[in-house]
Amino acid sequence: MIGLLQSLIDGLGRGSIYALLALGIAVIFGVMHMVNFAHGELITVSAYVAFGVIVTAGWAWWAAAPLIFVAAVGTSVAIEFVAFRWVRGSSDFTMLLTSFAVHFLVQAIFVMTMGASVRSFPRPDWADRVWSVGDLNIQVIDVVVIGATAVTMAVTVYLLQRTMFGISLRAAAEDFDAARLMGVRSNKVIRQAFILAGALAGIAAIFFLMRTGQARPTTGLSPLLKGILAAIIGGLGNMQGAVYGGLLLGVSEVLLRSWLPEDLVGITDGVVFALIALFFIFRPQGLLYVRSAERV
Amino acid sequence: MRGLLSNRVGSQLAGSAVLFAVLVLGGLAYASGGAPTRDILVTQMLINAIMVIGLQIYIGNTGVLSFGHMGFAAISGYAFALLATSVERKARIVPDMPLGLDGVSLKPVVAAAAAIVITVVVGLVVGLGLARSGAKSGAVAATVITLALLFMVHEVGGAYADLTGGRNGISFSVGRGLDSRLWVFLALIGAIVLARLFKSSRIGRMAQAAREDDLAARAMGINPARGQMVALLLSVAVISVAASLRVFQLGSVAPSTFFFDYTLLTLVMLIVGGRNSIAGSVLGVALMTVVNETTRHLADVEIDGGPADILDILLRPGLTDIVLGGSMLGFMIFKARGLIEDWEVDHWLRKRFGRPEAVPAPLQDAPAPEPAQLSAVDITVDFGGFRALERAGLEASNLEVVGLIGPNGAGKTTLLNVVTGLVEATEGSATLTEQSAGGPEARTITGSEPFEVARAGLARTFQNLRLFPALTVRENVNIATLVASRHRPGGDRPTVEQLLVHAGLWELRDRRARELDYGNARRLELVRAAALSPVYILLDEPTSGMSNVESVAMIDEVRALASAVGAGVVVIDHDLAFITGVCDRIYCLDQGRVIAAGTPEEIHADPQVQAAYLGATAITETR
Repeated sequence: MIGLLQSLIDGLGRGSIYALLALGIAVIFGVMHMVNFAHGELITVSAYVAFGVIVTAGWAWWAAAPLIFVAAVGTSVAIEFVAFRWVRGSSDFTMLLTSFAVHFLVQAIFVMTMGASVRSFPRPDWADRVWSVGDLNIQVIDVVVIGATAVTMAVTVYLLQRTMFGISLRAAAEDFDAARLMGVRSNKVIRQAFILAGALAGIAAIFFLMRTGQARPTTGLSPLLKGILAAIIGGLGNMQGAVYGGLLLGVSEVLLRSWLPEDLVGITDGVVFALIALFFIFRPQGLLYVRSAERV
Repeated sequence: MRGLLSNRVGSQLAGSAVLFAVLVLGGLAYASGGAPTRDILVTQMLINAIMVIGLQIYIGNTGVLSFGHMGFAAISGYAFALLATSVERKARIVPDMPLGLDGVSLKPVVAAAAAIVITVVVGLVVGLGLARSGAKSGAVAATVITLALLFMVHEVGGAYADLTGGRNGISFSVGRGLDSRLWVFLALIGAIVLARLFKSSRIGRMAQAAREDDLAARAMGINPARGQMVALLLSVAVISVAASLRVFQLGSVAPSTFFFDYTLLTLVMLIVGGRNSIAGSVLGVALMTVVNETTRHLADVEIDGGPADILDILLRPGLTDIVLGGSMLGFMIFKARGLIEDWEVDHWLRKRFGRPEAVPAPLQDAPAPEPAQLSAVDITVDFGGFRALERAGLEASNLEVVGLIGPNGAGKTTLLNVVTGLVEATEGSATLTEQSAGGPEARTITGSEPFEVARAGLARTFQNLRLFPALTVRENVNIATLVASRHRPGGDRPTVEQLLVHAGLWELRDRRARELDYGNARRLELVRAAALSPVYILLDEPTSGMSNVESVAMIDEVRALASAVGAGVVVIDHDLAFITGVCDRIYCLDQGRVIAAGTPEEIHADPQVQAAYLGATAITETR
């Protein structure tokens, strides 16, 4: 029982980051119908920004965090402007490959300018602290991440439900053409979607980097994959589903790690991928997909 | 010679030979007299070409973006290395190898063959999964499944060291058996021919139809899963051969041999030339090899002394990846279909050297068909809480033209969708009764898949036009005749060419469907439905978006085409002049119910129909 609770907390700490990324991917999918394989690059950029200001400039974490956030938002908007704007409305195939290309391009730019090696930066000293409550060992960072994610989600829900921005975004996600005819400006709503997705990724990046304390060209790959998987598990484009998908993925990863026999723990990720492939085979539309009839 | 080049398969074989010769001779010319590294480079290019053609067979024909093919390549590469490495070497690098593999050492050729079998079996399993996930062009779930495969293989390759040698992989001294380039040549020509023949084969064409429009393909009697599966297995087999050759050439296999970098390289090669073309794949391989070599040479330039400037940074490692990523991005934005789209060498050969095509004999009316009856009885359809149809139905003989009219939202298209299997009826059923040797034979069509309904003889068109846009006019119609030749009875069918002449599309036969103007596109959809040799043609608003003059012309076209293939017609339309002109009998629907049925005159006079169309108040006012 304690073990289960422990896994739950660990898993939610992990899953919160996936959920933030998945929500961003879902928001972008909503307005553009594109799965953004470049979403992880926001974390890569953030990682090098963190490295730059913390190690090179000697900033403290609390000062670096807002800059990381701004970097993620800025990168998100820039990528939209440079690449995605030009393929809007193309076939799904084209958009998938476009985002894949951006993913590689950003990675290659970092390999070229910073080298392929790992750059480490110090993590905040409270990140490794552990609270012991009875038999439970709770990592402080998990609590902070879960809390921050909850607040972020609450703000996002408010934005989506109560503001003009959120309403036009949801309208565009529902039916882009109809939303445009009702006066939603397509360039603006897509830019706003990328700002929101960038902001969510920025928050995810702050905590992800606090945990890992590393920057390298491929930093964004693993969180990207988990984010995409979570978004699809939740039913692509379904924002609520993406959040649940992220949390579910985090918890199942931790549970799997504790259940797998010793000699298979090394390939937990492999097992997770296998399970997810199986999941999609039986439920390709995700968990929470609401079927809307295709008009013929 | 001229005969060979006029013949379809003949010209394709000749074209493949040309393609092979150009790539190989170009490579050999570059290698001859140069440093030995050039030799290696050329072999690598040829192996990459096999790999890219393997990708083309699946991605090109199905439009499903697979990131996982390098996963198949990795499986094959490991299988090959494990089976071919000598026993002594294995005892040194992977001493605890399970499954008794430590005692096995096969000849390279045999090992490569075994690797194909293993990989194809894995491909079969993955393919079943993809089919289950409803893979179609651009489908995300399919892409993610393949991506998961790639990562799974990568993880296992890195972590299951007893079998795979872990991160360092397995290296072996290059034995004999595959070391002559002859094997590479053989595999390359084999891959080119296989891919080219598959592209124009019946199954290949069906996969392409599903790629262009999944729904329309199913409504034309195509089961998309089948074409995708065949394409996947062929593609995996070719990939497997290429992977074994690559591992043999490198003398080692490790998790990084077939991972993201190689995925990027091969995908860029595929899309630069044109993913729908085998010539395009080869062109992409050649082009990107040249580009890569050039950038590599640039990056090799030593810059001595002086402060680091922008050139210094640009020439660091990573430049090649930037060029690859940049090419992919640039092509997606500016030329997503690639340089030559789906052009093949044999197109040119046939046009240049083949005999000119003769205009076919005009189409004669088909003899009056055996009577058949389509009946839909008490059809009710609920969409969530909304009742789209309530006990609606229709009866149509194949000797008449039956119309369905009604205001927007009356349920006309829904009724058609139920009959063609696209929408499941909540209640009620539809049957198709045909004459057979033992008297009339009724077949229930509700509950069947759309492609089964189409094969049973119901061909349809769509309200918002669903052609196969990237295919030519002729290919669009040809796909329907391919289905007909397999699944429809009767021998003496009109040919594609005759149908095209009949519809006035002959001159446009080699245009792509997406280039047609609206009227011709409508006409093409009509001919495509007729080419299925159906018992009924079901038309959903064939005149929508047409002018009055065009709609009137359409009356004759519909009637002429129906009698040419001997099919009955059920037609939905808003245009009363068109419906009255073309139909023998009309059903009027309103709010999901049939409110009137009869001859055009009876329908015109029916007060309920007038009320539905003009509003009850309008009736009162005119009185």
